[in-house]
Amino acid sequence: MQLIQQLINGITIGSFYALVALGYTMVYGVLKMINFAHGDLFMWGAYLGLASLTFIVGIFTNGSPWMIIPVVIIVALTVALAGVLVERVAYRPLRTAGRLAPIISALGVAFILESLARNVFGASWKTYPTGVVPTGGIQITPEVRVSTMQLSVLVVSFILMAGLYLFIQRTRTGTAMRAVSQDPGVSRLMGIDVNQIISRVFLIGPGLGGIAGLIVALYYGSFDFTLGWTFGLKAFIAAILGGIGNIPGAMIGGMLLGVIETLASGYISPQWKDVIAYVILIIILVFRPTGILGERVAEKV
Amino acid sequence: MYKKFCLLFVALILASSLMVGCQPGQSSQPIKIGLQGPMTGDYAYEGKGFENAVRLLVDQTNEAGGILGRQVELVVEDDAGDPTQSALVAQRLVDAKVAAVIGAYNSTATEPASEIYNEAGVLHVTPSSTAVRLTEKGFPLFFRVCFLDDRQGLFAAKFMKEVMGAQNVGILHDNSTYAQGLAEETKKYAEENGLTVGFYDAINPDDQDFTPILTRIKSANLDTIYFTGYHSQAGLLLKQAKDLQMDIKWVTGNASNNPVMVEIAGPAAAMGTFITTEPLPKDLNYPEAKKFVEDYKAKYGEEPASVWTIMAAEAFNVIRYAMEQNKTTDSKTLAEYMHKSMKNVNGLTGPIIGFDEKGDRLGTIHVAYVIDDKGNFVLNDKQPSQ
Repeated sequence: MQLIQQLINGITIGSFYALVALGYTMVYGVLKMINFAHGDLFMWGAYLGLASLTFIVGIFTNGSPWMIIPVVIIVALTVALAGVLVERVAYRPLRTAGRLAPIISALGVAFILESLARNVFGASWKTYPTGVVPTGGIQITPEVRVSTMQLSVLVVSFILMAGLYLFIQRTRTGTAMRAVSQDPGVSRLMGIDVNQIISRVFLIGPGLGGIAGLIVALYYGSFDFTLGWTFGLKAFIAAILGGIGNIPGAMIGGMLLGVIETLASGYISPQWKDVIAYVILIIILVFRPTGILGERVAEKV
Repeated sequence: MYKKFCLLFVALILASSLMVGCQPGQSSQPIKIGLQGPMTGDYAYEGKGFENAVRLLVDQTNEAGGILGRQVELVVEDDAGDPTQSALVAQRLVDAKVAAVIGAYNSTATEPASEIYNEAGVLHVTPSSTAVRLTEKGFPLFFRVCFLDDRQGLFAAKFMKEVMGAQNVGILHDNSTYAQGLAEETKKYAEENGLTVGFYDAINPDDQDFTPILTRIKSANLDTIYFTGYHSQAGLLLKQAKDLQMDIKWVTGNASNNPVMVEIAGPAAAMGTFITTEPLPKDLNYPEAKKFVEDYKAKYGEEPASVWTIMAAEAFNVIRYAMEQNKTTDSKTLAEYMHKSMKNVNGLTGPIIGFDEKGDRLGTIHVAYVIDDKGNFVLNDKQPSQ
């Protein structure tokens, strides 16, 4: 019975990792670069969510779960625009500058975003107003319980991930994104505006990341400016584990990492969970260096 | 013309040096007191309290003519609660030639700093680092005005046994120097007092999600759990335990003696949690404490929320008192006096009976609080035998 409860806990954490991992994997897919700033864009989602929620709750004087909807829209739009801006200012000028320069630039953006959040909002823990998240839960058996919030997290994450998957697979823009990720040069010859497609990737990835930041902060009720670092690193690892560049891979990687961590801390000790999680990660990567769903990239001739 | 300027210049330099020479000896120099604490990071709230408390007293001292006729200059450094950063700022304070240092907040940061201050011969008083091993190193210049973890551990064990009627308890720490120390002491005393310790483990303070360990605690059939870590994690633990509908009684140590814990957990989840700690500022019934709290409110517009704020003030008062009694700022003389002759001085947190040869403050003042339905810390009406 404890096992089922632990699996529920693990999948909840895993869905957070997966949502953030999507951002890393999408950018890697089209640009073959790691957007280290993604974790901090995600963290900004938590702060912007709090700021806009406080504003809205201030107008209506008491909280209701419906107030989340305008907040989600504000957060998604703002963080998405910030993502596009980051790409335009810090990544695009370096696109032909080799592999190292964009990585350093991305790390720079990450530090800027983190320090900015600390200086603007302060270093102390921030708490979300109560009354905006659903409380209660479903008791499945005497020992197994799913809280309403856990259930909402799972449902929302699933909708977002499925929506993204369908978008990539079924729409023209999605097809163009896949084309650019396979070969930007040939895509351009086929009449695809590569810069515009990359901008859209930076609209969707950070937008989703911002929503994830909001969900994480609502779920835990409190956070501080290091949120981007702790979740960002785990999500990045989840993206690699699932096969970076591959969207279903990010989902599987995130879930797997969440469940492994949870089982390790639930059955052994939280002190050992990172050791165990990373030993398993290394073993998987030894046998599948491109990750679980990663495709082997053929050498271009 | 050029020559004249040169002469004038030399004359000016001579005159200014004479003017300095006119003043009696070193008393023109202010006494520098260092303060190191977490001004940023997880414990920034406590660091700010340190700074506010000590600055208030420094200003009051300077208005009243300073210490030994010399003005006091406060030098504040931010260690962010981090041991590496702590060693850096400790060296910086030594280089700034401070006469004495107050700090750091957490034991993890105090440990490396105490080594540097003692090597440099600077008197070092911590307001709040309670890990037992800090004073086991034989540093003659290291003191603390707070009380040791082993006494809090004994108090916590007695409280769980005598007041709560616990039988099977769990102990959870966060692997920090302080929390692990308190957890070990509590485990020892709990077993000595006939309690079963059915669970003993640590969380990772960088984590946000504690549901895995809470699920395990839930199935361990404990009646009480004692968490010895800090307020942010305590708040998250209480909130997540409530979401998992755990019916277990929570007791937390003095690092959770902070309203932020209730803010993070929410009053509904925090209600009924006990805290073993030094008394809160509002419950200190000493005239010195009441005056300090009033002055603090007048200056900053809020009450000192944490007992560590008062302890920082206490540390400054001890240093000032020792300097005034001995008419010197020499760290060695001051330390010797504090070890041997400083007895029964009125303090903000009760009488300072004295310091033992290791630098620990004698006596104890621990009490148990309980969180009421509005999230306030209320003195529990039942306390264990002392």
